[in-house]
Amino acid sequence: MLSQLERLSFQVDGRYASDAELQFLVDYVQSFRLRVETYQRLRDLELTLVKETHTKMQAIDPTLFQIGNQDLVTKWKRDTISTLRYSAVAVLINDSETLQERFLDWFQTMIRAFGAQRSCDVTYQVMQTVVKQHFSSAQADLICPILELNRRSLGMLN
Amino acid sequence: MTTAIDSSIPLKYPTKHNHYGFRDFFQFDSTQGTIQDWNGGHNILTTEDFIIGLVEGLEEEVGDASAVTMYTIGCEWGKADAFFFEKWFEREFDRNVRQTNLLFLLETWWWPFTSQGWGRWEVDMGDRKQGFMFINIFDSAVARGLGDVGKPVCFLYAGLFAGFFTELVKKQLSCIEIQCYSMGETYCKFLLGSQDRIDAAAFWLNEGATARDIEKRLRAGE
Repeated sequence: MLSQLERLSFQVDGRYASDAELQFLVDYVQSFRLRVETYQRLRDLELTLVKETHTKMQAIDPTLFQIGNQDLVTKWKRDTISTLRYSAVAVLINDSETLQERFLDWFQTMIRAFGAQRSCDVTYQVMQTVVKQHFSSAQADLICPILELNRRSLGMLN
Repeated sequence: MTTAIDSSIPLKYPTKHNHYGFRDFFQFDSTQGTIQDWNGGHNILTTEDFIIGLVEGLEEEVGDASAVTMYTIGCEWGKADAFFFEKWFEREFDRNVRQTNLLFLLETWWWPFTSQGWGRWEVDMGDRKQGFMFINIFDSAVARGLGDVGKPVCFLYAGLFAGFFTELVKKQLSCIEIQCYSMGETYCKFLLGSQDRIDAAAFWLNEGATARDIEKRLRAGE
């Protein structure tokens, strides 16, 4: 939304915006209450989401938390919480572009430096199923596209 | 372009590491007319025309020696930046540069350059044990401005890598661009290694070898 507002302010320089150009604001206002509720619930359930994602991942493949002999659960938790908080803000302000620019572009290079792409791929895939169990479908529809963006940005194996 | 200055930006969030977005990384002070970055570097905005003017103007003044001149400037810049980097890395991560994951360290070094418009990079350290490595640059600021001129143009980058890595590993290293956007390729590729390897690559390049040929010959132990 902030990225769209910034673009709008450039595009309508010296003229009025058309109704079509203002539509994203109308959509945002209409979704605002749902976004705030979703944000608050994400905040309240942060630890539950991380814990359940961790448990499911352990069941899928315990080596997801290991690189060589190193046990990376603590690091994984810290990174996942951090990503989840940025994701929550992206849900609140409807701005995946800012999430990408200010966080994911940087974090992607760090994840690759540590070779943790596979772990990220599974994390944000599993987290989408966990989210669907704890949130209404309307709320999950706001969160899951952001988690999928995280998965595609951080989990790409190349 | 950036130069180190004494005073650092008073940081509100000293432990925030993802500060490379345009609005986070640069602090525009309209009263002073300055642009400081997150690490306290003093930045100057330039146009592509400035870079074209710099490269072509130098070529007009000193002819073929312009390549060596740009490489040398890059080398000095890289060496100076290695010291600058060491300081801000230790300040930000509370850790010595030699006690950290190498790829993480290198990614962290390059991020300010990405924010400043020097392009994104990719480091291929697969051949590190053999004493050489490759660096890809996507969207080189020099090549982007000059366009397809049929020869490598990113001597400044080659010097920057040679200078920085020489300081980092405390061993004399050289660098050559073996593929360039200005040769009609989609990205630039640099080879970093000892002087004899770089001389060999320069010879092969001169004989018409492609970057792929050079990679194969090096990996075959030539």
